[in-house]
Parts: sequence; C-alpha cells; structure tokens
Amino acid sequence: MIYSFWIQILEHVNYIGAACLFVVGLYTVVTHNNFIKKIIGINIMETSVFLLFVSIGFVHGASPPVLTLGDTGGPFVNPLPSALILTGIVVGVSITVYGLSMVIQIHQLYGTIELDEILDTEESKDDSPHA
Amino acid sequence: MKRAFLIVTLGGLLVIMSYSFIQMPAIGSQDHPAYNEIAAHYIENTVAETNALNVVAVIISDYRALDTLGEATVLFTAVSAVLSVLLIAHPKPLKKRKENHHG
Repeated sequence: MIYSFWIQILEHVNYIGAACLFVVGLYTVVTHNNFIKKIIGINIMETSVFLLFVSIGFVHGASPPVLTLGDTGGPFVNPLPSALILTGIVVGVSITVYGLSMVIQIHQLYGTIELDEILDTEESKDDSPHA
Repeated sequence: MKRAFLIVTLGGLLVIMSYSFIQMPAIGSQDHPAYNEIAAHYIENTVAETNALNVVAVIISDYRALDTLGEATVLFTAVSAVLSVLLIAHPKPLKKRKENHHG
C-alpha cells in the first residue's frame, strides 16, 4: 500500500515538483516586502507552469520532434506543449519587464522599494498636516 | 499567527495540487489525453504540408501563425506600456532617501 503510494509519487515527480515550485513562488510573493523579490516570486510561479506543460508533452523512449528525411521514426515527443510554452515565455518576459519598470518609477517617487517603508511614508503623510 | 495561517493555506494548496496531479496518467505514458490525434497529425503531415523538418517551429510559424502574430502584439503592447511608464517625470520626490535603512 505505502509502496504503491511512493511509486505513484515517482511516476508524477515532475508534476509534484511543479506544484512545489508554484507554492514556493506564491510564498515569496506574499511574504516579502521587496518589490524585486515579489517579481522573482512571480517568475518562479511562471516557471512551474512551464515545467508542468512540458512534462505533459513528454513520452518515454521518444525522440525530439525534429524529423529526418526518409526516416519514419518511432514515437515522437508531443510538439504542441513546447510550442505553446514558447508563447508563454514571451508573455512572462513582458510581465517581468513591465513590473521592473514600475519598480523603477516607485523608487524614483519614494526613494525605496520596500512595501512597508512606502506604507509608513503614506501614513505619516496623512497624519502630518493635522498635527 | 499570520505566518501560521499562511503556511497552513499554502500547505493545503500543495496537498490539493499534488493529489490532483497524482490522478493524471504517469509521466511519459502514451495514453495521456494530451498525446492525441492532433499531435499525431502535426508529426505525420509536417513534411508533406510545409516542407519543413522541425515540428515545433512549424507549429509556431505555420500552423498557428496567427497565434504568433498575437504574441508579437503582446510584445508591442508590453514595450509601449514600459515606455509610457518610464517616461513619467517626477518633479520632486515625496521623501528623501534614508541611507541607513538599507542593508
């Protein structure tokens, strides 16, 4: 019983790894105050989704989907998830660049990229005119 | 307290995701639902229909070229958004930078 459970884990180890990466990225996004670390967490979550998709396309004993002329070949790895993930990588890079540009603007405006320091600045700004 | 609640929530998410993934077919099995007649069609007809050998490149640039056009649109939108954010001018910062706060 417990043996078959470990077999199940080993047969799906890439999917489990993708789940762990997703949770690690979400933990990074939620717990860190530094905006650049938040963007790193978002990138880790993206990478977990890429790993999941490419693992779905894998076939045991198959060759990569690059055909050679005159060779019918054995089974080929599923080419569709790889093609979709290429689009996903482009979207991920776009999101990263946009987030980093907003971090630059925040740093120019507040002088810091720590979320708690920015919140302190905003609170003291709200209090000071009435004091 | 907040930290404990967060860890319990993320651990529950990990358990639910892992349990769902274990129900899927094993990695590398040929009876996976994603390995269906669409992938077989691409692999069998690529040379006859497009005269190219790399199936992934053919899917990106030939079978799903409209998808790639949308991808280029995404890149253009990202570049315009980044430029419009970076070109905002701040005449005066709200707060002087505190040097001793950063380690």
